[in-house]
Amino acid sequence: MKPAPFDYCRPSTVTEALEALSSAESSRVLAGGQSLVPAMNFRLTDVSLLVDINRIEGLASVDCDPGGVTVGAAATQTQVLDHDGAASVVSGLRAALRHVGHLQIRNRGTVCGSLAHADPAAELPALAVASDAVIAVSGPDGERRIDAADFFIGAFWTALDDGELITEVRFPAEPPGSMTIVDEISRRAGDFAVAGLVATVEAEGGAVRGARLVGFGLGGVPTRLEAAEAAIRDWAPDHPADTLAEAVMADTADAFDDIHATSWYRREAVAALTVRAARRALAAEEAA
Amino acid sequence: MTISEPISEVDIEVSINGRTRRHRVPARLLLSDYIRDTVGLTGTHLGCEHGYCGACTVIVDGDAVRSCLMLAVQADGAEVRTVEDLAPAGSDCLSPMQQAFHDNHALQCGFCTAGFLMTLDSVDPAEWSEPERVVELLSGNLCRCTGYQNIVTAVTEAWSAYDGSGGSNDG
Amino acid sequence: MSLDIDSHIRHSTRHIGRSVPRREDRGPLTGRGRYVADIKIAGMLEVVFVRSVEAHARIVSIDTSEALAVEGVRAVFTAADLADVKTFPDYIPYIGPVRQRPLGTGTVRYVGTPYAAVVADDRYIAEDAAALVAAGTTYEPLPTVADLDQALAPGAPKLHDHWENNCSFDVAPHKPEVDRAFEQADHTFTETYVSQRQTGLPMETRGVVADITDGTLTVWSSTQSPHMVRSTVALMLGMPEPQVRVVHPTIGGGFGTKTHIYPEDIVVPWIARRLDRPARWIEDRMENLVASVHAREQRHEVEVAYDDDGTIRGVRCASMLDMGSGEIFMPGTAPVFVTNACITGGYDFPNMQARTIGVVTNKTPSGAYRGFGIPEGAFVMERIIDRVARLTGTDRVELRRRMLVRPGQTPYVMHGGGRLDSGSHTESFERGVEMAQPALERARARYAGDPDVRVGVGYSNYVEPTSPSYHLTTGHWGGGDAATVRVDPDGSVRVAAGLSAFGQGAETTAAQLAADALGVSPEEVTVVLGDTERAPYGLGSWGSRGAMMLTGSVLLASERLMDKARAIAAHMLEAAEADIVLTDGAFHVAGSDQPSVSWAEVGTAAWIRYVDLPDGMEPGLETSGYFHPENLQHQLDDTGKINAAASWSNGTHIGVVSVRVSTGEVRIEDYVVVHDCGTVINPALVEGQVHGGVAQGIAGAMYEHFQYDPDTANPRFASFMDYLVPTCAEVPHMEVDHFESPAPEQPLGVKGCGEGGTVGPPAVVAGAVSDALSEWGVDLTECPVTPVAVRAAIRSAEAAGTGADS
Ligand SMILES: Cc1cc2nc3c(=O)[nH]c(=O)nc-3n(C[C@H](O)[C@H](O)[C@H](O)COP(=O)(O)OP(=O)(O)OC[C@H]3O[C@@H](n4cnc5c(N)ncnc54)[C@H](O)[C@@H]3O)c2cc1C
Ligand code: FES
Ligand code: FES
Repeated sequence: MKPAPFDYCRPSTVTEALEALSSAESSRVLAGGQSLVPAMNFRLTDVSLLVDINRIEGLASVDCDPGGVTVGAAATQTQVLDHDGAASVVSGLRAALRHVGHLQIRNRGTVCGSLAHADPAAELPALAVASDAVIAVSGPDGERRIDAADFFIGAFWTALDDGELITEVRFPAEPPGSMTIVDEISRRAGDFAVAGLVATVEAEGGAVRGARLVGFGLGGVPTRLEAAEAAIRDWAPDHPADTLAEAVMADTADAFDDIHATSWYRREAVAALTVRAARRALAAEEAA
Repeated sequence: MTISEPISEVDIEVSINGRTRRHRVPARLLLSDYIRDTVGLTGTHLGCEHGYCGACTVIVDGDAVRSCLMLAVQADGAEVRTVEDLAPAGSDCLSPMQQAFHDNHALQCGFCTAGFLMTLDSVDPAEWSEPERVVELLSGNLCRCTGYQNIVTAVTEAWSAYDGSGGSNDG
Repeated sequence: MSLDIDSHIRHSTRHIGRSVPRREDRGPLTGRGRYVADIKIAGMLEVVFVRSVEAHARIVSIDTSEALAVEGVRAVFTAADLADVKTFPDYIPYIGPVRQRPLGTGTVRYVGTPYAAVVADDRYIAEDAAALVAAGTTYEPLPTVADLDQALAPGAPKLHDHWENNCSFDVAPHKPEVDRAFEQADHTFTETYVSQRQTGLPMETRGVVADITDGTLTVWSSTQSPHMVRSTVALMLGMPEPQVRVVHPTIGGGFGTKTHIYPEDIVVPWIARRLDRPARWIEDRMENLVASVHAREQRHEVEVAYDDDGTIRGVRCASMLDMGSGEIFMPGTAPVFVTNACITGGYDFPNMQARTIGVVTNKTPSGAYRGFGIPEGAFVMERIIDRVARLTGTDRVELRRRMLVRPGQTPYVMHGGGRLDSGSHTESFERGVEMAQPALERARARYAGDPDVRVGVGYSNYVEPTSPSYHLTTGHWGGGDAATVRVDPDGSVRVAAGLSAFGQGAETTAAQLAADALGVSPEEVTVVLGDTERAPYGLGSWGSRGAMMLTGSVLLASERLMDKARAIAAHMLEAAEADIVLTDGAFHVAGSDQPSVSWAEVGTAAWIRYVDLPDGMEPGLETSGYFHPENLQHQLDDTGKINAAASWSNGTHIGVVSVRVSTGEVRIEDYVVVHDCGTVINPALVEGQVHGGVAQGIAGAMYEHFQYDPDTANPRFASFMDYLVPTCAEVPHMEVDHFESPAPEQPLGVKGCGEGGTVGPPAVVAGAVSDALSEWGVDLTECPVTPVAVRAAIRSAEAAGTGADS
């Protein structure tokens, strides 16, 4: 399990990185390497040139203001997880990152790398969609900003074009009075989710006023649960769980089968997680 | 530091356990193989080479990382610590954590042990105090022999020793 | 056999029975362990095997030219190059011969079959070339069989052309008393129970380094059985055994997978000889998952006869083993026989009629894994008991109480001939129930307010045959082991044993034994294991045999050595031998203040100062003991029964689980183990074996599962993302208690404990989850118990209308 030969470069500016990326046929960005290097060790990925972005100046920053959190392409997941300011503006970041891999993985893995990798079972893409994150991309043709909702196209497939690089991602602050819950079923601690849910819930007076619900591990891309978002409005613990669960089932009809779980299981599980999230948000509101 | 032209072999300078090493390495050489084969420190083990088992865990610039998921060239300029560096140099003693592993029968075949020790060494010892936190911390290291129970006990015990002495600790 | 190590020794401290700290720890703790991958020899070449990507195919051609052109590649070998190597022996007469070649030739029968070996300057280059060999291989695919049903279907594609069908063996005893039980019983039911494919998965993969110097071939192999590797390498390469030396360096776990002798154990030495260069192969994890044996894939078709009061009258069980392609030496036949031999566990249940069937499929060969068939049988029996309890409204604990082997009932002969020499079958269950009660109450209290959670409890009472005969497994080897003990002129003690060690602490154990037998401290004992050149022939470590074999052989050799040492000391002290005692490492005349003679003086006399020896005594102070348990049978008796184990340990596992109804998530809240492995030499080591075994058992109960594509027999796993080894977050806290029922016929009463831990969890988890979900009538019959399996059970109950309304 050793990678096939490749060339390597380590630019110090984004411009240099972009030049390098377009200089070779199968060039790849190397960020944390926590998804790319295993794939290369298995010889599943064809790479002729690896462009290591870790030493590009300014790319490893995590910036935080009342309007949101901006995470640079070389900032590690640990950096963000440990960032108290970021957690207070976008609580979903910490909630999601706690489910990502293990300490050693997060110490190298980047937030932007996870978005670029677009694993259908990953937490961060779902959080990006749930929170209307905006992904900043530089490429041979200049810069553009892509809404998370448009960024994920399929499993391991994004709106990034050849030679493009994510430079940062901006997570807008959560609406006041809301909390983000990231919950999932995974087989073991630190595993990718069999099925999961990011729920940004606004609760008031013992009932859910509104919620953004995004499932993951269900299909190729994070799945907005629109019927459930409608069904959860004004939901209170004494309401039957069934209608909410049924709405989730309707939203997730395309969930896939694999060796870890069947389609119906994934749908049921996300339905259960949705009810659980509503209950948790209401309990938190009551406690506050 | 910058390498602007694509190259297939790179000159690197890495501090390993406090000693500076210079080598010319293929770009594709994994840090794990560099440590084991090029430098000859075989205490770091390879159990999966895809990031799951944790046997290859080393400390790079203070953080526990999988050495099988890093290229040697990425450690250029970095400070790397391996299991060989844990016991106080020049003595027969073990570090408090190594000693606690020994005292609590927290290793059997020992293949996973270096990874556990390096993960533990990379964090603030205060994190050893809470069994639940310890379980979370260690969930990135697989052990097939011990069933983990004695490992968790050893960590809690090392904390008591550390806390009790109130002194410094290099394990 | 009885050895009285205390008759002439006054110990200030006994070491047997104490948790003597392990001498094995220091290397791994400080990064100075020496595992096979750490061996570096000047000029060593790296070997990479090219493996079949087809489950069943004829290899039409292999083009190695591109690979050979890669800079740094020294050679590429295929089966044709190894024509001078003999075929793996087919020693067992009653199973289909597989005629396994060291490299796949003609037909390949599972994904992972090695069919070429690339030799290069380093592993990276070797992998580059291996990829080119793979790309240069043309296959003619053949139809595949991916499971038992496909393999046994009429007209199924055959794996082995010279066989009649895919059935390797089918052994069916007939017991008229079981037929009578069925005629008389109030009710019967039938059920199918399934255990899934798993593997031992040591954290260190396999590896072989070979070097030939001055005509002697040295092989360092991460193997549990160095002497058997030597015999087989010598046989297959046509070399005299003395010219082959096999050494196991530090081993990073084995768990049965490393008892087999694999193609790489033969091919790497062959390459070293052929190229006259040291050669090394280290298995990577990707190949490990397909190239090291799998285990445990069994199906049990069961008929049960029972009465209204819960009495189980009789059971007929057809146990079918999916052997994979069967191409492994030793064959993977034996576990399913052990399943049937042990299926009745700690219960007094003679009316078992168990048929044993082995079937080949296009999957990785199956073989040994810690537990060696016992967990599969325990699962069946406990599930049957729970079912009957439920059907008849009998309390599950009460029913087990009624069935267990009672105190005073040993020696108890089981349905297949296994002889439970002693044990605490009833006592350990009672103790376990007592220990589990608070855990159960805690869990109930914890979840009292959560309407989504149910709590349940599961039980397993099992037996563990220890120090088995290897004859039925291998058709060749027996079941004994040897040790040599030597006292050197300076008085230091050296013990060498044929046993191997891969983490159990066998060196520490051997030192404890020798220390007590020779009245020295363990630190003064040097131990040599796992080296065919320096230790006598032995079969290695598997089958929970380490403790008993070491005890038998080390004590026997020590006793012989003591006899001689005492004679020398008596001569030197001018006293009668019978009056000589050994106190704190020195020989005295009993009851006198006379000066003493030290071990060094005795050693010096024996080896150097013959003037101090009694007249006519042969010099030297080195003795051997070959231990072979007296009551161990190697072959079936006239009635088709066999007691193939020297002794039988026993245990009880009880687990408390919580189940989330909405998601099917299962959490083991508490896990209780009461076990009895006879006299304990080192309590810490025994407890460590229990913990590790239970963790592996839980892995099988809930997580690990090799799945194959039913249409292509292609593995649906390639990494630890698909083969789910539990982390410390999945393994619960274990509370362990012991009984010690000495093995009446074994030295010191030692039994053995390597495997028992793995046995209970599948039965316990399935039982506990079924109990938790009893309001739906859930009765699990398969492992692993995954969230999906749990939800599926609830859903089907609800669909059938048997569920609670929800
Ligand atoms: C044992 C283990 C467990 C894990 N568990 C989880 C988990 O539970 N949940 C989870 O979400 N993830 C998990 N991961 C994956 C981990 O989070 C990765 O770090 C992450 O998916 C990728 O980030 P990276 O920085 O390591 O990217 P890399 O591995 O460096 O790159 C991944 C891909 O993205 C591309 N890429 C990276 N950065 C950029 C960029 N800035 N612009 C353009 N392309 C880019 C690369 O070219 C490559 O194709 C796990 C990994 C391991 C090894
Ligand atoms: S070898 Fe690196 S994580 Fe397993
Ligand atoms: S001690 Fe063997 S794997 Fe942990």
